[in-house]
Amino acid sequence: MLKETVLHNNHVELGAKMVDFAGWHMPVQYSSIIEEHKNVRQNVGLFDVSHMGEIFISGKDSIKFLQKIVPQNIENLFDSKAVYCQLTNENGGIIDDLIIYKLKDEKYLAIVNASRVDTDINWFIRNSLDFDVYIDNQSHNYSLIALQGPKSDDVLKNLGYETEQDFFTIREVLIKNIPVMLSKTGYTGENGYEILLKNKFAKEMWNLLLQAGKDFSILPIGLGARDTLRLEAALPLYGNDLSEETTPIEAGLSWTVPKDKTAAYNGKDVILNQISSGTQKKVIGIKMITRVVPRHEQEVYFNNEKVGEVTSGSFAPSINCSIALCNILNKPEISVGSTVQVLIRDKFYDAVVVKRPFINKRNSNKENKE
Amino acid sequence: MDTLKILCSKTHEYALETDSNTYLIGLTDYAIEQLGDIVFLELPEVGSTFNKGDMFATVESVKAASEIYMPISGTVTEINEEILTSPELLNEYQDEKNWLIKVDFVGDNEEFLDLMDYDTYREEVE
Repeated sequence: MLKETVLHNNHVELGAKMVDFAGWHMPVQYSSIIEEHKNVRQNVGLFDVSHMGEIFISGKDSIKFLQKIVPQNIENLFDSKAVYCQLTNENGGIIDDLIIYKLKDEKYLAIVNASRVDTDINWFIRNSLDFDVYIDNQSHNYSLIALQGPKSDDVLKNLGYETEQDFFTIREVLIKNIPVMLSKTGYTGENGYEILLKNKFAKEMWNLLLQAGKDFSILPIGLGARDTLRLEAALPLYGNDLSEETTPIEAGLSWTVPKDKTAAYNGKDVILNQISSGTQKKVIGIKMITRVVPRHEQEVYFNNEKVGEVTSGSFAPSINCSIALCNILNKPEISVGSTVQVLIRDKFYDAVVVKRPFINKRNSNKENKE
Repeated sequence: MDTLKILCSKTHEYALETDSNTYLIGLTDYAIEQLGDIVFLELPEVGSTFNKGDMFATVESVKAASEIYMPISGTVTEINEEILTSPELLNEYQDEKNWLIKVDFVGDNEEFLDLMDYDTYREEVE
């Protein structure tokens, strides 16, 4: 039996096409993926991402515990600060990617992927035995609504909420008297917020945001456009681009791993060794010459040799071409500007290696104005 | 589209007779709706011949790639260049401008037995 978010009926009433996603019955699109995608880049969009998991961590050993389970440095976070992390196993493989928020001393929040909640909880508990820490899975009590796009601030302003908030911070605030945790984060490459709130307030908040957003052409956005938006921003998706067989370094996430963290963490030896000696594999971004769409697990070739595979691929509505993230052998001769081939239905299609992310926010704004 | 005259296959293609022995082959409105935003199309070359049930084309939407099968046997006499260049028009055209290929029918009449009129087809898929 598929799980439903509190907003399930709202999606059905809005005419969404519903699909099974990680055990949840979720909206994949309301009108058209391309239309929804462009609306987030140009205006604003509203996403129900309540399927994601919320795990609270508290207790006097919270820092020590968190320091052990992620390569990122949790020690120096100030109150309300968030950090993008990976949960690594002893080999450095990625069990999940997540955002950890410091709410206050000895109180943290982890927002994790829906498909990994159970695995993560087990891993948290296994790793917590030596620590005075309380792990509280609150996923079933919380809803998560994402407001994303250049007009996100205008929508909140229309609801009487006006503020300057730094990227990757979270605040407990009242919006129209509804208590929410307002996080300035997202999965689209746009300015925007993720609004965490108790289930009982979710319907009211969803409707308020849709109503307040009318002046700014707000649209509800399905998981289809969420995927194309995150891919253009080159943000990885667990299960496609990340897995227990990939380390953060191999996944192109070295920028998230500090070299100078003194605390021990799961997989530290492997990860530090990869930072100093390099990896066998690397991530590249490619742009197809025609609009043929590269898909997950299709093979990538260079000079007639198989060098890797596509981890995520799609048509990219903002740049009107097809793009992909690929995991390939770490060959120095494959770099930005190189031509590679993707094997799609027994035919080779040319692609050019390009810089990641695929969109540059400033450029896309320029395009919109023309 | 003049749905009264089209014959539909279970795999969501239609055949529309335009002249004696000449048919336009395309995707049903239901198939296009299910695919969503179409971004890429591959069509066969003029002159190629396919049997009923052969895969003759591929269409890709943002979400997925789908194979397109011949509802009848035929030799391709023309391809829809406009649709090939701008496959997103498939989402816009509600009429017979959305055909993919034109064929000369080369099969026998038994091939029509499992094709359905539009109303029967819609009942079948819904």
